[in-house]
Amino acid sequence: MGRFISPVKIFLTLIFLLVIGLPFLALLLSSVSLNWQWPEVLPEAFSWRAWDYVLFGSSGTWQAIGTSLVIALVVTAVNIVLAVPAANALARYQFRGKWLMEAIIFAPIIIPPFVAVMGIHLTFLRLGLTETIFGVVLAHLSPTLPYMVRAVVISYNTLAVDWENQARMLGAGAIQRFLHVVLPHLLPGIAAGASLSILISLSQYLITFIIGSGQVITLPILLFPFISGGDPAVAAAYSLMFAGLAIVTLLGMDIALKNYYQTKKTVTGKI
Amino acid sequence: MNDLRILHLEKKYSKTAAAGQEPFVLQPVDLTIREAEFFTLLGPSGCGKTTLLKLVAGLLQADSGQLWLGDSELTAVPPEDRRFSMVFQQPLLFPHMTIEDNVAFGLKMQKVKRKKRLSLAQEMLEFVGLAGFESRFPDGLSGGQQQRVALARALVADPRLLLMDEPFSALDPGLREEMRELLSRIQKQLGVTVLFVTHDREEAFELSDRIGIMGNGRLLQVGTAMELYELPASTQIARFLGMKNIIPGTVHGGRFISNEGVFEFSAGNSVKAGEWCLILRPEALQLLAPGTPAPAGALLVRGEVGRMKFHHGLYQCKLHVGGAQLDCTLSRQQAESLAAGQVYDFFVLPDDLHLVGI
Amino acid sequence: MWRKSKPYLLLLPAIATIVLLFFGGLFDGLLKSLGYFPAIGETRLELTAYAEVVQSDGFWESLELTLRVAVLSSILAGILGGILGVSLFLLNEASKTGQARVWHRLFQLPLTIPHLVGGYVVVLLFMQSGLLSKLLASLGVIDELTDFPVLVNDPFGWGIILTYAWKEAPFVSLLIYPVLSRIQRSWRDVSRVFGAEKWNFIREIVLPVMLPSWTIAVFIVFVFTFSAFEVPFLLGVTYPGMLPVYSYQLYTSGTFADRPEALAVNIILAALTIALGLVIYYFSKRWQVWKGWA
Repeated sequence: MGRFISPVKIFLTLIFLLVIGLPFLALLLSSVSLNWQWPEVLPEAFSWRAWDYVLFGSSGTWQAIGTSLVIALVVTAVNIVLAVPAANALARYQFRGKWLMEAIIFAPIIIPPFVAVMGIHLTFLRLGLTETIFGVVLAHLSPTLPYMVRAVVISYNTLAVDWENQARMLGAGAIQRFLHVVLPHLLPGIAAGASLSILISLSQYLITFIIGSGQVITLPILLFPFISGGDPAVAAAYSLMFAGLAIVTLLGMDIALKNYYQTKKTVTGKI
Repeated sequence: MNDLRILHLEKKYSKTAAAGQEPFVLQPVDLTIREAEFFTLLGPSGCGKTTLLKLVAGLLQADSGQLWLGDSELTAVPPEDRRFSMVFQQPLLFPHMTIEDNVAFGLKMQKVKRKKRLSLAQEMLEFVGLAGFESRFPDGLSGGQQQRVALARALVADPRLLLMDEPFSALDPGLREEMRELLSRIQKQLGVTVLFVTHDREEAFELSDRIGIMGNGRLLQVGTAMELYELPASTQIARFLGMKNIIPGTVHGGRFISNEGVFEFSAGNSVKAGEWCLILRPEALQLLAPGTPAPAGALLVRGEVGRMKFHHGLYQCKLHVGGAQLDCTLSRQQAESLAAGQVYDFFVLPDDLHLVGI
Repeated sequence: MWRKSKPYLLLLPAIATIVLLFFGGLFDGLLKSLGYFPAIGETRLELTAYAEVVQSDGFWESLELTLRVAVLSSILAGILGGILGVSLFLLNEASKTGQARVWHRLFQLPLTIPHLVGGYVVVLLFMQSGLLSKLLASLGVIDELTDFPVLVNDPFGWGIILTYAWKEAPFVSLLIYPVLSRIQRSWRDVSRVFGAEKWNFIREIVLPVMLPSWTIAVFIVFVFTFSAFEVPFLLGVTYPGMLPVYSYQLYTSGTFADRPEALAVNIILAALTIALGLVIYYFSKRWQVWKGWA
């Protein structure tokens, strides 16, 4: 056995260092470097200047993070409300034109959403939706909703109607059935969809830029001028923050869900 | 009286209702189930017994007909407001709730206070032999234990009718036996009315006060286990009940003659002329001791004894009579006095000669 | 009646949202690409914008670049992701602990990293004065900064290709891993009984099993890189830009008259992705790629 494990492990470790360790190190070094000239492998001097600017300067970082999170969370909340009934219909009913409904809902996965956003830009302008957070939220809905629907459909597929019939026979009305039986079962799927939805919303640049017209400043909007030829140290610090924000959000979701099921125990839908 | 009355309940499935399913019709059913009675619907799969059960539950909407419980009509009442309960084939315990919360679920729906409902749940768990399991989760229980919890959950809210849809068919045979005994005891103790569905005739015979036999979307015959076994209304029912020795023949002028001409006896003048089947229960064939005369009016059967099998303390043997082959059950003593390949005389008392319409 | 219309009612909010915001936008764009601007009195539909797009060199060069980048990055991501997936599978085979799961998680990090950050990482590592160049110089492999090839903001698109290969390789491994995990340990034993070496086992069993979902994954990466904006905008050159960048440049830097052209490029782009999407759909249904994945 050992003969097999070690080469694979060594290989994976190497790859890991190369594709994840090295980039991370490069970002970290760059963010604390002062005057890092070619061909020095390590910066001449270190400084917290970039971090100081990003975290405490009048850079608007915190406001941008706040705006990003508000948009991502509102988009995700709206997605949940839209996706749960839609997923119910797609997972449980056979009806005429179902393929068309699926095609419509999943189209934004394949067709790039900026095409639609550029098309609707002038209409949004006329309606006064540009330069507003509300407009950006609307623009973020179509790239995220399909992933949410898909995640919830998968959850619905594993929930047999029998469970609801059972609850019904025990006297549970429609709302009670949804709260006590359906929702707990869907929760992991909703969480998975929410993670994707938040992640996609957080990393939108073009759509936010077109609709927000530079007035709605999310983290990617703030970041872009720096990474396209601005101060490299600040760019690196922002990049680390941005990546960190995405990872922390996902981890938070993961941990919240794990906690939920540690108190409620794992769902093993046996049907 | 809180009898459940089913009046002319009818249901048609068209092809489009569920993709891939054959169109199915449940013919109008009339049936009264008495309070505290254990009533079983017995039939092969696809006969409509589950459809009837779900109509009574309200999980399906009947096309026509009515459902009454005592003086109240339930036809249009949604299932959650009927105060029935149901145990399905699978335990269907809610995986995110403890055993105790599962059992108390129905009471919670009725807005019973938490303390009250938990103590009732605990009582009921004790009743099904699962005291001490309150705070566990369903996935830590065996299939049999889960089904007991399901039973406790169904009973705790004192349902007006307990519906059971093949609740033990997913369990191991030994466990099934145990569960039947438990159910039988609990049903008697609580006096709950039960409508039970199964395809297992032994289960039906063992548990039920009365049985309704279903086939092809019809309720064919209703009666106690004894009535059905001794007087099946048709050959279809007889076959379904696993009866052997169904011998086709005709009645003419009050006499029955089997098609091969082997069996002939007076059926009485009340029997209409036409095609009938004679049913000889295996234990009704009795050995005639050599030299003794057959009792008056008995049907004499002379046949060659074939292979004998020891089964459940009795001998099952094949009897070749003319062209026909009959199953016959003999006591050990009788069987051991016989030799295979020899011809012996048997007789059937007139009361055991049953004619059944085709 | 309620029964029949129920699924439609359940779908209504989601469908209305997508139709209004997404298809509305597409349709809006389509109309404007045909020169329909009621606001300025243009209500005739004409194909001028399309004719101009098709006749311009910029469009064809942009399309060529887009195809090249999409093909190379999807193949690279496919190879990397494939190797990663098989390695993780072998690790999982060999160890009973949750080790493989931890590895799997770690390698999915690039998936969660936003594209812009991914692009910037490539800038830091691969630009002429980047970390790799510094490393090579200190090792004495190169003497001058200009000895290091131009890999970022280069006309060929290497920077974009590297970014996508890096970011989408975990996606490919994520998609093939569930298929691989269906390979039973017992198959391994059976193949050993027949004397199969480790490499034979990979070639005869592992690779054929993963091929359908691998192909679909590579195709998805292809469509994605084909229509992505952020990374090409950051790492490309001004001319030629990839199609989304080309359209964006027409839309923003040009005059009002260039907008129909930008939208025409968008519509062509959308049509191409729809066609590619249908190909993916067809083959994934046919090969039943999603079985066991969903």
